[in-house]
Amino acid sequence: MQTSSVKNQTKQIIALGILGAFIGALVFILGIAIGVAFARPGGLLDAGASPFAVSPSIAANPVAINDTAAEQGRQPSLNYALINDVLRRLRTQWYGEMPSSAQLTDGAIKGMVAALGDEFTQYIEPRFAKLLNEDISGVFEGIGATLRQTPAGGVQIVRTFPGSPAERGGILPGDIIEAVNGVSTQGLNSIEVAALVRGPRGSEVTLTLRRAGRTRPFDVTLVRERIEIPLVSSKMVGDGSIAYVSLFDFSQPASRQLEKHLKELLDKRPSALILDLRDNPGGLLSQAQEVGDIFLKQGVLVIERDYRGNKKVTRTTDRGIAQDIPMVVLVNGGSASAAEIVAGAMQDRGRAVLIGERTFGKGSVQSPQTLSNGGQLRITIERWYTPNDRAIHGTGITPDYIVNSAPEDLKEGKDPQLEAAIAFLTTGKTPPPTPIPTVEPARR
Amino acid sequence: MTRIEKGLAVVAFVLWSAMLVAVGYAGHMLLAPAEARTVYVQSGSALPLLDEAWGHVRAHFIGTVPSNTLRDYGAIRGALATLNDPYTTFIEPQPRAIERDHMRGQFGGIGVSFRQNERGEFVLTPAPDGPAAKAGVREGDVLFSVDGYVLPPAADFEVMARVRGPVGTPVTIEVLRGPDRQRLRFTIVRQLIEIHTVTWRTITSTVGTHPFVVGYLKISSFTDRTGAEVQRAVAHLMEAGAQAYMIDLRDNGGGALSAAIEATSAFLKDGVVAFEIRRSQPNIEHRVRSMSVRVGEDQPIAVLVNANTASAAEVMAAALRDHQRAQLVGEKTFGKGSVQLIFELSDGSAVRVTAAKWLTPARHALDGAGLVPDVEVKGSPAEQEARAMEILRSAAAKHMSMR
Repeated sequence: MQTSSVKNQTKQIIALGILGAFIGALVFILGIAIGVAFARPGGLLDAGASPFAVSPSIAANPVAINDTAAEQGRQPSLNYALINDVLRRLRTQWYGEMPSSAQLTDGAIKGMVAALGDEFTQYIEPRFAKLLNEDISGVFEGIGATLRQTPAGGVQIVRTFPGSPAERGGILPGDIIEAVNGVSTQGLNSIEVAALVRGPRGSEVTLTLRRAGRTRPFDVTLVRERIEIPLVSSKMVGDGSIAYVSLFDFSQPASRQLEKHLKELLDKRPSALILDLRDNPGGLLSQAQEVGDIFLKQGVLVIERDYRGNKKVTRTTDRGIAQDIPMVVLVNGGSASAAEIVAGAMQDRGRAVLIGERTFGKGSVQSPQTLSNGGQLRITIERWYTPNDRAIHGTGITPDYIVNSAPEDLKEGKDPQLEAAIAFLTTGKTPPPTPIPTVEPARR
Repeated sequence: MTRIEKGLAVVAFVLWSAMLVAVGYAGHMLLAPAEARTVYVQSGSALPLLDEAWGHVRAHFIGTVPSNTLRDYGAIRGALATLNDPYTTFIEPQPRAIERDHMRGQFGGIGVSFRQNERGEFVLTPAPDGPAAKAGVREGDVLFSVDGYVLPPAADFEVMARVRGPVGTPVTIEVLRGPDRQRLRFTIVRQLIEIHTVTWRTITSTVGTHPFVVGYLKISSFTDRTGAEVQRAVAHLMEAGAQAYMIDLRDNGGGALSAAIEATSAFLKDGVVAFEIRRSQPNIEHRVRSMSVRVGEDQPIAVLVNANTASAAEVMAAALRDHQRAQLVGEKTFGKGSVQLIFELSDGSAVRVTAAKWLTPARHALDGAGLVPDVEVKGSPAEQEARAMEILRSAAAKHMSMR
């Protein structure tokens, strides 16, 4: 009994041992599997060292689109092995000081976005996104200048408003902003630079500017003010028989102010009307519609196509106060976005003759998405087309009569484009061609 | 077994299992590459920020979304841009392949040079007696396809990379010839094509009544083969009786530091060629190497430089001057005194990382400053050469009169 019991026990132990070894092997493999699972791409380096560490939560999505998280789950992840290989080389070999993980991440997102080749899809770093959010109150305190991104990557002054700190301080259109309060603008986009320039009224901001014809950058210090931008100016031109109205942008009160000025002008019984949309950078689509309503009868204003291929048509209604008066719309390379919508619709529907230069070609809508790090991604989600289905984006609107204007003209108080408009409305012809301005019918 | 024994066995088994899991896990860690050993342990549901950003782009962007590869390259470029260093850059696989060939000074090819015409087409010029010329490719032929791949309108580096390949392998190209654009097909076996970076000749004149022979040596860039080429050139010039040397480093944008050291060593007996300063390492001294051929110390040297003389070329020019071995003639040099290390990545792309700065033997920084020549000549290349000749002749005259 004793022996057989021992034998049995031995058998039991051996059996248990084999079973154990078998289970053990399985568990060992499980261990490897867990290891592989945890070291999935995207979390290669430890959380502290890797700029691409997993963020604690998925972004809140301000646009009512719910497929995002699902699509993110399906799409192949970035090649973090490659990216982290580069960063590892930098960390061990680069001569300079390494930027922080957050900076590298911001840079990487900007680089990815740049690969889209769309200058309007932009990433705003968290520090600037925060400033933009604070600005939502609508109180615009700054220096009274508009900015634009140059193809070379710099940020440039497009124009300064009359009487603004920028204009009084001698800032000129074309100046490149190199730094704001000593913070380099290298790698920053126009929205980020604008966020740096803005601040509480009464506070100082120092811009470091580079200007064509000057060898060295120079500093200009300005005191920020509450900027009240006059949106409309108007006058009678020609022999006092033509009404002229200029709209500076399409922000909230644009159509109301425009209508007020027009009522006064129309009381003077003008024979024709000139709407000046030159250097008008655009603004709200709703304002484009309301401005269009003033001049256009019922019909198509603009066609929008979104990223899903959906087509949306925005129409004008039949309630305008200036639907029949002969009209010229002045445009130039600074006419963008909402200004191009209005000009394009007036041209396509035969409501007005366009005179000036080809427009900017910004016919797209950006939707802001807040990322989990607080940064903001502004993605082009829609493109605009004129009522005749001409693309605005990239191509711009070519006027019926091209009349160029040289910078010297402005300095000498000349306005060849306005002169051409007046001549056209009084005689039905544009002025004869002179070396400058050049007048030629546009090729469409 | 008693209940206690059973209990112990279960506990032991659980412990043993846990240990195995741990060992298995550790095993994985050992299998993983070094940088993957620190494992990120957090909830698997969260997404990395870049994926999050790209998810929005994919979901909402109206235009065409680029390939994942271009997205990843974009991310790398963007991360590198934050360093604010124009020399720390990312290189895509095909440009990298061309660059690598150039650094090596040789590659498998068919012996044609490319030129783009106004239509963007690639016009071929076969090298005399090269494989392409022997196969019948003629000057002016327009490249149409490579191994069945028809060139797109905006072809780039890609074309060169496709024509090149391992020595001994065939490549089939189609070309368009003549006004009627007749399409012809050639299959050519790739041969070893060497990139020559050194040309030389003798310039003979007189000093007083004596004949005076100057060895002129132009180095266009520094590849892995440049050192040997300089050796051969100097040997030929010595044999031709050169009494002085004119080293032309104009438009030489640099290249491999080791090649510049070897080239310098053909003219310098001893000493430091350059100091290399790294962020977290003691200074590295690059010294003159022992060479089989070396120019005699009594023979004057002039080095021609201009605004395009950069990097390794500046190292050579500065070393010869700091050791009072040569005078620099021409224009102020470019001023690139940083060292880039090239790391090839898994997919054939590469990253160039500024890893060090150079100092001249006299410990002058090159970066951003450039070398001001001893004799500044802003005129034509010919005027610069004439001025260098004058300097060499007067130096030789002094030497001859001292004798």
